[in-house]
Amino acid sequence: MTVAGLSAFYHDSAACVAGNGGLLVAAQEERLDRVKGSAAFPGRALDACLQAAGITIMDVDEIAFYEKPFLKFERMLADHLRAFPFSYASFRRTMPAWLGERLVLPLVLRRNLGWERPVRFVTHHLAHAASAFLVSPFEEAAVLTVDGVGEWTTTAWGIGRGTSIEIREEIRYPDSLGLLYTAVTTWLGFEANRGEGKVMALGGFGRPVLLDRLRQVAGLRPDGSFRLDQSFFRFERGGVMWSPRFEREFGPPRVPGSDLGERYLDMAASLQALLEEAMLALARHVHERTGLRRLCMAGGVALNCAANGRILEETPFQEVFVQPAAGDAGAALGAAAVIRHCVHGLPREVVMRDAFLGPEYPVSRMRRALAARGLPTTEVPPEEMQRRVADRIASGAVVGWFQGRMEFGPRALGHRSILADPRNPAMKDILNARVKHREPFRPYGASVLAEETGAWFERDTESPFMLFAVRVRPEQRSRVPSALHVDGTCRHQTVTPESDPLYHGLIRQFHGLTGVPMVINTSFNDNNEPIVCTPEDAVACFLKNDLDVLALGPFLVEKGPPETASP
Amino acid sequence: MDLGPERPICKRCVLPHSPPDIVLDAEGVCSICRQEEARQSRSDDPPLLETDFVRLLQKHRGKGTHDCLVMCSGGKDSTAALYYMKRRYRMNPLAFMFDHGFEQQDAIDNVRRAADALGVDLLFYRTDAVRGLFRKMVVSGSRAVLCHPCSIWYMSLTFEMAARFDIPLIIAGWTKGQSARPGVMTRCACNVDAPEYRSMGEATKAFLKTLRDDPQYRDFPSSMEEAVARARKRHHATVLSPHWFLDQAAEDYVEVIRREVGWRPVAESYPAGSTNCSLNFLSVWNSLRHFGYTHYHVEMAKMVRQGLMTREEALRALEVNFGDETLARVLERLEPPAK
Ligand SMILES: [Zn+2]
Repeated sequence: MTVAGLSAFYHDSAACVAGNGGLLVAAQEERLDRVKGSAAFPGRALDACLQAAGITIMDVDEIAFYEKPFLKFERMLADHLRAFPFSYASFRRTMPAWLGERLVLPLVLRRNLGWERPVRFVTHHLAHAASAFLVSPFEEAAVLTVDGVGEWTTTAWGIGRGTSIEIREEIRYPDSLGLLYTAVTTWLGFEANRGEGKVMALGGFGRPVLLDRLRQVAGLRPDGSFRLDQSFFRFERGGVMWSPRFEREFGPPRVPGSDLGERYLDMAASLQALLEEAMLALARHVHERTGLRRLCMAGGVALNCAANGRILEETPFQEVFVQPAAGDAGAALGAAAVIRHCVHGLPREVVMRDAFLGPEYPVSRMRRALAARGLPTTEVPPEEMQRRVADRIASGAVVGWFQGRMEFGPRALGHRSILADPRNPAMKDILNARVKHREPFRPYGASVLAEETGAWFERDTESPFMLFAVRVRPEQRSRVPSALHVDGTCRHQTVTPESDPLYHGLIRQFHGLTGVPMVINTSFNDNNEPIVCTPEDAVACFLKNDLDVLALGPFLVEKGPPETASP
Repeated sequence: MDLGPERPICKRCVLPHSPPDIVLDAEGVCSICRQEEARQSRSDDPPLLETDFVRLLQKHRGKGTHDCLVMCSGGKDSTAALYYMKRRYRMNPLAFMFDHGFEQQDAIDNVRRAADALGVDLLFYRTDAVRGLFRKMVVSGSRAVLCHPCSIWYMSLTFEMAARFDIPLIIAGWTKGQSARPGVMTRCACNVDAPEYRSMGEATKAFLKTLRDDPQYRDFPSSMEEAVARARKRHHATVLSPHWFLDQAAEDYVEVIRREVGWRPVAESYPAGSTNCSLNFLSVWNSLRHFGYTHYHVEMAKMVRQGLMTREEALRALEVNFGDETLARVLERLEPPAK
């Protein structure tokens, strides 16, 4: 049985095609329509997934749709929401399903796809929970979903066993850590839904001196539940998200683009500390109630690497699986998985050991993409590719690395990546100036040889999806200045020869040359564009930005002369 | 074979300097490439998705004895289209091949083998009826392109067959280089109003006008538009090509049809690797002589611009691969059969 899962109309639309025999293809619409965070109907993503799977829409038996009450209705439903009782509620008393969407979607599917077969709706938390648990390596695990910033419903946890998932408790709007985070993000002068990641990075530069006061604002309880003191916020009205009382307590908001003074840095640090504290408390609570040793996490907050790192280190959970597309995009995968496994009882066949679920492109197309822009098409065998690219990275080059199937989720993990030398203290600034155009305080992640992780990081756990910030061993820190956050942590991706032999071999070459078993890995895109998808995207990004080398499948293209001669 | 003086070729595509339609600028880039450059930065046409194609197919699936009529030439593109319709989309196609007397045996064999392998019905129609028109065109020394009236004729005939068998869908093997947007579909593949066709198109129009005094061809449609409009009066059929909707290049599907339906390239055809009829040699020679390029140059230039083909591949394919003997042989067959 083949099911197409769709997530659409909120933020980060995506499509997924899941079928028997381990068939699993998934892609975000933004990669195809080239609109960052595209919320459009994921028609192009679905088309790409079907073509990559070698089937057509006729082979799809059911379409599963991820259903989520969304922020747009905020004002209209404000009063209704106010009446919602606080605290954990049962799954059955969940918010009324938005009938509008249920009525409209079948029409959208008929119009866009000529679809006449069943359309199934999968509720929000279930889709999120399924997106993590049903592709995790665990037969049984606790599941925690914490919604992304700026979103509506907030937190749920439950238990996954075999092919079933039971949601036990949930917290709803307006008691949302996400909304609190977004409100403060906008107070700090960053854009809602975009700036949250920046605030997380900024947190490292301040001191959490406001944590006590924020705790009270959030109404954080020892079990991780919370009840926001609404007098500090004004979510229901237009304009700013905080109230005059918030300004009396914490001062005037920062003017966007102005200096990041100490007060703001401290607020960012306090906010991040609060989030981590809440996440830790939640995780401990879930552990207490389930007694399980394994945890699966999904939802936008599960992309907060610092919080994830602490859950791994400070709670009794021994193994934590975070699905790389933890946000709305991943819910497309979750919705399809719910229908296949929970509804139809089909066995779980796929463990997501890598994020390479997207389309891939034939060598012929890469050759054409290069030739079309007048670039040379010299094919290079894998060993030579690894050797030459490692060599160029070690001599300071910035490399576009495009290989195999596209990653699913927000992180580039060695298939659509920009690579650079972490030893060079100036590399962060070089990347910022030449390609990424990001704020100087945001750290870069690194890909590290799995077998070397223990020697370099304080925790030797597998982290294939770059979703945990882990402390680098103090004695090693000075050797990788550009991969290091100000707090001494690094978002790292562990690479094994099994999951990605080509990439692993490249880092091994770099290790041999430099004694450092990691390279900076950031997504292959310009700051405000989606990550590249096709060979044409990669070539265009390579030409437009100041990248020195492009490794496009078997093709190696170098801009300008090498800095040093090859050995 | 005298093809006139060498012409400089655009640095980006494969079109030569051929005023007034195509002019190379100081940088050696042709006016069509420049125009395309401006167009691409302006408009953002939504792509044609395979799901769109399937949605259109679903409307007609299973209707009548055959739900689509596939125009087959024995070439790779139309053979792949037939293969897709039967295997990928599980339609019930009627394969249709038209031979004006100049089709190569290898091409006919390709269509037969594909129809056999796929288990689809094949309608093979051979006629001498247009030979006189071709002869007239050659004798007149017109700069018109032989392929234009031929495709008008072929299209009219296809619509006629669709009407006769009450088939709602006509499937062609047109590639992305031949087509552009849905609006062009109704014009049947070639946008003859495009600037690079202007002079060729005018010559064809002028030639077709002369047919009005010819008792045998008086009714011949004066343009593709007219042919389509006439056909629509009798029967409505939608014309589509699966290649417009698929993210695949020719070399990807050539492998499939070689393996699955025993497709083989014909020994001698222009451009290299194509499966065109022998009359095509004459058409190519005529266009090269008068304009320095053919409609294959236009098509491949488009594919080069879209990144579906490299410039080098296109230039190689477009090299003249036949000589005077080939032309003489075709001219001989144009003569009226001995009475
Ligand atoms: Zn040109």
